[in-house]
Amino acid sequence: MTNKINEQQSIPVSKVQRAAKFISTGAKVGGNYMKHYAKKVVNPAMTKDELHRNNATDIYDSLSELKGSALKVAQMMAMDKNMLPGAYQDKFTMAQYSAPPLSYPLVVKTFNQYFKKGPENLFDTFTTSAANAASIGQVHKATKGDKVFAVKIQYPGVGSSVKSDLKLVKPFALRLLNMNERELDNYMEEVEEKLLEETDYKLEVIRSKEISQACSHIKGLNFPKYYEEMSSARVITMDWMEGKHLKEWLQTNPSQEARDKVGQIMWDFYDHQVHQLKQVHADPHPGNFIIQEGDELAVIDFGCVKVIPEEFYSGYFSLIKKDLLIKEDELDQIFYDLEFISDRDSAEEKNYFKNTFKEMISLLGKPFHVDTFDFADDNYFQMIFALGDKISNDKMFRKSKQARGSRHGLYINRTYFGLYNLLNQLQANIKTTKPDWIKN
Amino acid sequence: MTEKTKNSHTDKNKIIDGYISYILETGSEPVSVFKFTKDMKMKEAVFYEYFSSFGAVKKAVWELIFDNTIQALESQEIYQSYTSREKLLGFLFTWIEELKNKRSYLLAVYGNVSLKNQSYPSELKGFKAKFKDFASGIVNEGKESEEIAERPYLTDKYQEAMWLQVMFVFRFWLKDDSPAFEKTDAAIEKSVNLAFDLMGRSAIDSFVDFAKFLFQSK
Ligand SMILES: Nc1ncnc2c1ncn2[C@@H]1O[C@H](COP(=O)(O)OP(=O)(O)OP(=O)(O)O)[C@@H](O)[C@H]1O
Ligand SMILES: [Mg+2]
Repeated sequence: MTNKINEQQSIPVSKVQRAAKFISTGAKVGGNYMKHYAKKVVNPAMTKDELHRNNATDIYDSLSELKGSALKVAQMMAMDKNMLPGAYQDKFTMAQYSAPPLSYPLVVKTFNQYFKKGPENLFDTFTTSAANAASIGQVHKATKGDKVFAVKIQYPGVGSSVKSDLKLVKPFALRLLNMNERELDNYMEEVEEKLLEETDYKLEVIRSKEISQACSHIKGLNFPKYYEEMSSARVITMDWMEGKHLKEWLQTNPSQEARDKVGQIMWDFYDHQVHQLKQVHADPHPGNFIIQEGDELAVIDFGCVKVIPEEFYSGYFSLIKKDLLIKEDELDQIFYDLEFISDRDSAEEKNYFKNTFKEMISLLGKPFHVDTFDFADDNYFQMIFALGDKISNDKMFRKSKQARGSRHGLYINRTYFGLYNLLNQLQANIKTTKPDWIKN
Repeated sequence: MTEKTKNSHTDKNKIIDGYISYILETGSEPVSVFKFTKDMKMKEAVFYEYFSSFGAVKKAVWELIFDNTIQALESQEIYQSYTSREKLLGFLFTWIEELKNKRSYLLAVYGNVSLKNQSYPSELKGFKAKFKDFASGIVNEGKESEEIAERPYLTDKYQEAMWLQVMFVFRFWLKDDSPAFEKTDAAIEKSVNLAFDLMGRSAIDSFVDFAKFLFQSK
């Protein structure tokens, strides 16, 4: 058995292997649906929840073996579909913490490649095993003098396999997330661009510096310092941020006041980025925040930054206003601009999609319609899920041969959904500040 | 180092370097040792002092790469504290770096050779023997540390399996067109992890053990 190590068996990275993985997931998931319907015949009371949980487990199992960009995309599409039932959501967040580690010899090799020196020469101490996993690499803890560093190292070959990874995600997305082919292609371009950016650690350092500087006035918000001379295309050296991950922190039973405080910092951070900087940390998942002493918030990982184009910005956020006071023809124009409807639609289709999107946006905009919003309100999230479910099973959408919604919406929706979700976990009550022009 | 060995080193290396340049410049083997040494302004007899044929030179290239790899590896302080798995990884990563210095030559000679199965070119023999020596050191250490499970019949085959893996990595690297051969790095990492997972104690061992127990206590 062992003396027959041939390449197909031994390299999960090979195309064949990855394809096989996805197909087997696809088949398994198909199987779960079969089981679901079979059970349903016997026991009509069975809920969809059990089905979702089974699916999530299968998807998670195969994705966690894949890591790299395939994992990221699937995670994100799932998120974007909002729309994910709770069971998926949990599994996908878990996937964040479970990537197979880089061996220490590979870490040494990577250092030699970029710095012509091993980690033990660059630092006083350097942990030989990773302190934390990341989706496309891992983080080591290092010290030099009295400074403590976090050193993020990227798995080799991630950048060059983005394209082929994305091809493999396609059947998965079509099948599991009920996306139509056009919609998917539209997304894929945007996603590919962003993923390639995420593998470029040089760019990440530049953006981290930019955004952390531009947000330095927000109280209670901290960023690591980045060290360019010890960073490269696949290595980032920054300050180690002491503190706890969201889940850990919540286990310490923080007071309502503390939870509101952390949540408010988070809100202010996003508010400033979206409305002032027009570029945003588009990856709000729990692994990218650390809660520090005195209930302060540290933001790490600027791998994914979305620059918001002006036209998109004004269209999208004018829909978030509470009472759409805009005239019908202005509204139509916005829907055209955001690519929710197009000339190829029949009058009936136009009307239908306009109404659905209005419903969706007014739901997502709810926190903006009031001065303070209680994100602990699970009912609100149930409503979002229910609407997501409705849309993804909707005949009109599935029949539609067009992509709905501007590609820019992908990351903006993801950002808000991620943010809401974090605030929900925090059970925080938030002063939902917004720029004057959005206020009614 | 005595004058004699120093000289022999330089002559030997000169022949190897000369041979490599010849291949790189002309894309083919020299027509004869006579012609080759004449171009090198060297006596034909000097060539035969070290090599019996061009095949022997090619063999020496592989062994040289291996020796350099081991030297570079052992000069890293951390190497001694590596586990068996890490030692094999360390070997392959360092070896690939050494190969890189001779990539054009290796592509010229092996780019179109199938390098599949047992039909490896004969000039690999010396390297293979040296590598298997090295690998058996790793296997023994691994058994001691219980990273590698002792399995009757199979354990003896592990060195051979590692050798096949080395050849796999070589083939992969020859065809790799990713920047800085990043994909080869990933290939090494993943294949070594799989190999060690297979060699380590696993569910199958426990299963066999349990089955044996049931059988014997009947
Ligand atoms: N500066 C830091 N201080 C302390 N811990 C850190 C720091 N940077 C990263 N980490 C730890 O490493 C983990 C992964 O880091 P990071 O989020 O930057 O990686 P990533 O590859 O971008 O992952 P993903 O894209 O999945 O978010 C974090 O969740 C955190 O636990
Ligand atoms: Mg992260």
